[in-house]
Amino acid sequence: MDGALLFQSVVLGLLLGGLYALLAAGLTLYFGIMRVVMIAHSAFLILAAYLAWWTHTELGIDPLLSMIVTVPLFFGAGVLLQRGLLSRLRPMTLTMMSVLLTFAIAVTIEGLLGYAFTGTQRRIQLGYGSASFGLFGARIAVVKLIAFGLAAVALGGLYLLMKRTRFGWALRATIQHQDAARLVGIDTARIAGYGFGLGLATAAVGGTALSLDTTIYPSLHWHWIGPLMAIIVVGGLGSVPGAAAAALILGLAQSVLQIPMGTTWAQTVFYLALFATLAFRPQGFFGGRLAQRF
Amino acid sequence: MRNVSRWATSGGAVLLVAALLLFPSVAPNPYVLSAGIVVLNYAVLSTSWNFVGGFTGYISLGHGALAGLGGYATGLLVVKAGLSSFLALFAAAVLVGLVAVPVGFAALRVRGASFVIVSIAIVLILLLVFQSWASFTGGSRGLVVPRPFPDLSRPEHHRAFWYLYSGLLALALLAWWLVDRSRFGLGLKAVREDEDKAEALGTPTFAYKMIVFVVSAFFTALGGGLYALWFGDLDPVFQFSILSGSYLVLMALLGGVRNLFGPVVGAVVVGVALEYFKVSFGDTQLHLVATGVLLGLVVMFMPDGVLPALAALVKRLRPDDSATIREETAEELRDRRLANAGDKR
Repeated sequence: MDGALLFQSVVLGLLLGGLYALLAAGLTLYFGIMRVVMIAHSAFLILAAYLAWWTHTELGIDPLLSMIVTVPLFFGAGVLLQRGLLSRLRPMTLTMMSVLLTFAIAVTIEGLLGYAFTGTQRRIQLGYGSASFGLFGARIAVVKLIAFGLAAVALGGLYLLMKRTRFGWALRATIQHQDAARLVGIDTARIAGYGFGLGLATAAVGGTALSLDTTIYPSLHWHWIGPLMAIIVVGGLGSVPGAAAAALILGLAQSVLQIPMGTTWAQTVFYLALFATLAFRPQGFFGGRLAQRF
Repeated sequence: MRNVSRWATSGGAVLLVAALLLFPSVAPNPYVLSAGIVVLNYAVLSTSWNFVGGFTGYISLGHGALAGLGGYATGLLVVKAGLSSFLALFAAAVLVGLVAVPVGFAALRVRGASFVIVSIAIVLILLLVFQSWASFTGGSRGLVVPRPFPDLSRPEHHRAFWYLYSGLLALALLAWWLVDRSRFGLGLKAVREDEDKAEALGTPTFAYKMIVFVVSAFFTALGGGLYALWFGDLDPVFQFSILSGSYLVLMALLGGVRNLFGPVVGAVVVGVALEYFKVSFGDTQLHLVATGVLLGLVVMFMPDGVLPALAALVKRLRPDDSATIREETAEELRDRRLANAGDKR
């Protein structure tokens, strides 16, 4: 194998892994807060990508600007989703029923996207879309770097928010022990809603990043939900750093394996990792306390 | 109340047998009969799903793919290995049951969330493999399965499969009913209600879940294989779709997962609605929206299904024969217990 090619795919894998990490962080938040497996996460991702595409083609402005609207919009949608729907399910069967409910939302979004924009494949044509630069013999597209930068900034912001602010402390307390958090005066219901909003906001950022260099179509979200689910299980359900580490490693593995196996079969690495994790280490490889029980 | 539910079960059984026997002669044309077979296929698959979903409360979105695997295995055994149709069907179901063992091992060791994730992963993996491994499976061009009765005309063919499906449905319902009444079924329901307590009380939860998952996969594969023999043409996109798996969940949930005939009722309602939608709206994306909204409504407002909702209504309309709504105080309770203890002595 040619060294430059290998280096190229390592770089691309890390860039892709950054996007996976951001999205998996959102999924991990939902799971931490409510033990909810949010199937609709990737459907919102594609929705954000479509909104970015629409902003570019209809309004003629840079797709990145669509985030000014989509991020607050998705935050609000996340709060509403948690307060209005998920928190009203019976606690006994919450994990299972929330899967079905979020699945229903995913299918509805896919159907509405197909109805509004048809099933045609869409792609943003950007002035800087084909620009790239060389780095030790590897060619890296500028848009991929922008996407990675967005993911890194959002993930860094999320980290600071969780570690340095009072809201972040309250959110982490809610994740760690809901009853104890309530005892020290945290309004856990409100915090849980905001946590969901935060999770969905990552999908808005991720979708915008995705739209820059990917061809999108309504059913694309199924290609994302599988790898993302695998990542959060491998990382240990509920652990944000675990999910980020698993995202980088699996993104890298997928990218490198594409050289000998081709794009289609390289996707299997996610599922193999998923099965291996569940069979040999069900709590995940970087798992926290939560993962044991689920 | 026990008596009422027993009457409801026998009444339902009589009604179902009558419907299964009479429908082919009532159906005005072969199209209606073939639509009926599609609904019956859903009823078989949804009942098979209910072995896992109803007893243990573990929700699988991947049973559509298990049915697809049964269909492909049947087709490939007929086409590539030259087995006779119904031998291939049975072998395929056993094969899918075997495949379910490692899947169940990975999925059932931990609680619910991982199970759902694995069930979705199964659909995506199978779709990937069957689309990409074109030299063996036919890939996106599909797989043509030869008919088992080549000399029957089209309506006669439908009629034969109607009765085959009826037999399979009866078998699946009988198996579910037997499990429901058994000690094994009691253990599974304990898993559904509180897995930790069940385990602490000595129920072999993992083994029970595993057995019922394999049984469920076996029946699902029989349903899928029969579909392959009837329809004769398999396409990976339709055989391995999360959507078809979610239809099964929707049907079982709508009918009521704790009820023997729940999935059948749900299959009739949803199956007819799907067929109606296909006829009147064609292949637009709106059927996705309709499925999503309906599933969301059922989950939010009717998680126990229509049959239990109806039962509650009947109970409310019947003359009240229960004792009293007044709660007992601790004192009364103690007096009664003392009185009972006195009786025993």
